[in-house]
Amino acid sequence: MRNVQLLLRQHVGAPCRAVVSAGDQVKKGTLIAEPAGLGANIFSSVYGTVAEVTDDRIIIEPSDDQPDAFEPIPVPEDAGKLDMVKAAGIVGMGGAGFPTGVKLGINLKDTEMGELDPEINPELPEGFRLKESHILINAAECEPGLEHNIRQLEEQCDKVIRGVRYCMEITHADKAIFAIKKKNKKAVRILKEALKAEPDISMHLLPDIYPMGEERAVVRECLGVNLTTTQLPSAARSVVVNLETAAKVAEAVDERKPCFTKNLTVRGKINGGNEAHVFMDVPVGTSVGELIERAGGINGVYGEIIMGGAFTGRSVKPEEPITKTTGGILVTIDLPDLHGASTGLLVCACGGSEERMREIAEKMNGKVASVCRCKQAIENKPGAPLKCLRPGNCPGQVKNNMQFKKDGCEYIIIGNCSDCSNTVMASGPKMGLKVFHQTDHVMRTIGHSLYRTLKVSKQVSQDIDTED
Amino acid sequence: MSITAETAKAHAHDPAVLCCRAEGGITIEPANLEDPAIFDDLVDSGLLNLDGCLTIEEVLGAKLVKTCDSLCPLTADVVEGAKAPSVSGEVQEQKEEQGESQPEEAAPAQTAAVPAAVPGGILKIHIGEGRDIDLEIPVGIIGGGSAPAAGSVPETVKAAAAETEEPAQQPKLIRSLTRKHFHITEVKRGPETKIEGTVLCIRDDIEKECIDSEELVYDLKIDIITPEDYHTYSETIMDVQPIAVKEGEYELGSGVTRVLDGVVMMVTGTDANGVQIGEFGSSEGYLDENIMWGRPGAPDKGEIFIKTQVTVKEGTNMERPGPLAAHTATDIITQEIREALKELDENLVVSEETFDQYRRPGKKKVVIVKEIMGQGAMHDNLILPVEPVGVLGAKPNVDLGNVPVAVSPLEVLDGCIHALTCIGPASKEMSRHYWREPLVLEVLHDEELDLCGVIFVGSPQINAEKFYVSKRVGQLCEMLDVDGAFITTEGFGNNHIDFASHHEQIGMRGIPVVGMSFCAVQGALVVGNKYMTHMVDNNKSESGIENEVLACNTLCPEDAVRAVQMLKNAMGGENVKAAEKKWNPNVKSSNVESIEDVAGEKLCLVENEQSLPMSKKRKEKYD
Repeated sequence: MRNVQLLLRQHVGAPCRAVVSAGDQVKKGTLIAEPAGLGANIFSSVYGTVAEVTDDRIIIEPSDDQPDAFEPIPVPEDAGKLDMVKAAGIVGMGGAGFPTGVKLGINLKDTEMGELDPEINPELPEGFRLKESHILINAAECEPGLEHNIRQLEEQCDKVIRGVRYCMEITHADKAIFAIKKKNKKAVRILKEALKAEPDISMHLLPDIYPMGEERAVVRECLGVNLTTTQLPSAARSVVVNLETAAKVAEAVDERKPCFTKNLTVRGKINGGNEAHVFMDVPVGTSVGELIERAGGINGVYGEIIMGGAFTGRSVKPEEPITKTTGGILVTIDLPDLHGASTGLLVCACGGSEERMREIAEKMNGKVASVCRCKQAIENKPGAPLKCLRPGNCPGQVKNNMQFKKDGCEYIIIGNCSDCSNTVMASGPKMGLKVFHQTDHVMRTIGHSLYRTLKVSKQVSQDIDTED
Repeated sequence: MSITAETAKAHAHDPAVLCCRAEGGITIEPANLEDPAIFDDLVDSGLLNLDGCLTIEEVLGAKLVKTCDSLCPLTADVVEGAKAPSVSGEVQEQKEEQGESQPEEAAPAQTAAVPAAVPGGILKIHIGEGRDIDLEIPVGIIGGGSAPAAGSVPETVKAAAAETEEPAQQPKLIRSLTRKHFHITEVKRGPETKIEGTVLCIRDDIEKECIDSEELVYDLKIDIITPEDYHTYSETIMDVQPIAVKEGEYELGSGVTRVLDGVVMMVTGTDANGVQIGEFGSSEGYLDENIMWGRPGAPDKGEIFIKTQVTVKEGTNMERPGPLAAHTATDIITQEIREALKELDENLVVSEETFDQYRRPGKKKVVIVKEIMGQGAMHDNLILPVEPVGVLGAKPNVDLGNVPVAVSPLEVLDGCIHALTCIGPASKEMSRHYWREPLVLEVLHDEELDLCGVIFVGSPQINAEKFYVSKRVGQLCEMLDVDGAFITTEGFGNNHIDFASHHEQIGMRGIPVVGMSFCAVQGALVVGNKYMTHMVDNNKSESGIENEVLACNTLCPEDAVRAVQMLKNAMGGENVKAAEKKWNPNVKSSNVESIEDVAGEKLCLVENEQSLPMSKKRKEKYD
């Protein structure tokens, strides 16, 4: 095993402060860094010796022997569940990395409905209020090609449900709803069976379009309430947690286990084929390269290694370590060469940032001649990541296409969701624009259909046996 | 782009087209519909066929019976439960209510780009794939992502006299300004600067002092241009200025001002590399081919020009100190003439005119907001010099941070602006323009309006600063408690961003606004908002372009009359029709006719560049 590197910032908030020094002996679960502001505890994921503490990471040299035993979280016997979640250093495992101990620190019973924007909620009556409060479990696993969330639901359904019950207890939620894509038939059946014993927990089936796992999309799909880009799910009297996060909550409460491992999917141009390699309980801090090797190693020439997902991930080098929020490692085929042609970028909240889109254009050897932004991509604060006003529901794109044409673009690269990509296709090609999607090289690698026209419905029947 | 409920209401009678794929069974709402503002282009390009398309008012709330894709026109066969269309009479009324309501996306980043000025304003795209498709898209429509239709907006005119007024309150005289005119028939050079009778003599060696006074001025030549010499080549005309001086101890804006008739100062120049001092176009060439005679800011035919040709240090033509040095050096000559004028015998006064500034309590209170250029480089203005259109004592509005500065209408007419601006010659407001500012004069003399003052606001280069200053303008108008506001601007493109923002800031406070700008074809607005409903286009050029003819497209009395009428209508709650899609000069003529009908007198329209001898440049570039 090679050195593990634990970044001091693997969550929303400020970097943590290291509490170990070079030479210290650590075990699995030894506290090595504490929050300095908003953040969550960081624990060693291996037995070994601290090799170096730098400004942004702690490097640990692992011992040869790595027993399963770990240091339990340091809380008193009678500690409350929320304190255990906080102490365990759990953050949103779906990728956002918001400290779960902070997120669950809400009493939903006393939480009033937020003020809804009538413009995006035309069907709701004025003064609409949700009677019940909810924990919404995000099991959408929306980034195409990833499978570790669904695998965990199939294999550890009990643990996830226990975690959900703890979340409900902590937040005083009345109900819980699993949001899961209907296409995951096996997981849906296992979950359905398990939920027979849970009168307060139900599931909501999602269509197979992107994005469904966006927090506000989950709220909308499950509760029928559209939130503005600045509203939190609490405005709909709910808290959204990823299913892996819920499982971590169960581990913290039942086993006093700190959060130091991560489930993830390695996939792409890998020796042995493009199927997903799901790794459970990988020590945080393991390098990307090591995981790719465990999956079989890169098969020949490749385009890029993406950490995260095809839409929202970023390109990384093999040396980079995984964090508590890493979900996917994707090795792609080479990118096409546009030979310097004028290229337009359609930047959207659902896909890469403008910086990421420009990186892709550069890798494709396209000259960026125009940059447009989806009308619904809202920048809440200057420089903040874009958020979609109505995730998955297009606001129209023909105006952007006209702009690209005006700016002399031959190609456009779009980062849109399924619905918006469909709209781009309705006028782009007719106007003579050649359309690429930022995820094309990933989709081609994993054998997934490209994001172009939308062929499935955005509505699915909630009966799992009804084909849509 | 999808529309809001508000836009849907404004476009109730426009065709309903899906902006995106929508699934069978949904209830159609505004978010499903494409903005009708872009339909013409889509139809023209063959991307859209509106035959049999229902209107927005018909489909809202109806059910879509099958899944349809983006840009699908909603026809009766795909919609269930469509409402009956409202009758045509209502249609008309509704139409008049629409403003130039724009998508509210503020497009801040995109608007930063100054619109590409494409002559003719039409972007033509030819796609030779499959069936040939030709796209014709007015640049104003697509530039910046949210542009309203080109400038001029039709107005409905109604006699404003019908208003029921409170018992008449007496107008209150605030102050007066008297101009004493002295006539000049000849300008010559001589041993000293003096005025004898109607002959102005300029000191022989004055050029040297002018050159020595400014480090950046390499050379300065004086030409006396008489009407016989009008066919003389000149470098670009940077400014036209009246020669005037305050009498005795009077301050600018009140008391007595002396002014010379029959002669104007004219600043022209290049940098040492021969580059014209101008940004968007320049007016160099034969004077008689490049001056639109009689415009408020231009010379009148028959006047003598004291023309300086200033050469500034190479490269400083586009930096603030360069043009400022040219103006300052020229002002040494003007100042000497002013001193001579100040001493002149009272017997030589040929005429007097007095401007009275009244406040009219009980009448509709209005303010004139004049946006002046403040982007830096040569886009600057000196505000409130000691002498009319002087340099001494004035503050550059760029140094003032371009924030709004309140002045009295009489200060405007007394030359409180020394204009350094060198934007497109055709739309630039020269210093002389303010001296004869038609809107200020029109409102000042209108007994139905209570003109509380004039606000000058600079147009900064950076968008964040534009919004900074326009918020101050809004706050100022709120404090003034005005019933209506005029906003004028010069130039086009970059300055239209703040022009639009001024409308928003004033409009959002519930104050009706009339905007005045050169727009037509080339100056089509690059941004817009829902408050930009009342616009008067200052264009006079035949093709609707910046034709580089000095002052051709500046604000003239005929524009002021239309703007005043439009603001009266707006304050009286009268509707104004939305702009047509493309610039249509007939809008102006029909509005002028309506005003003539009501007023019962003929409005004489000014001539345009077609009345001038054709210049080589104009022939090659424009006409």
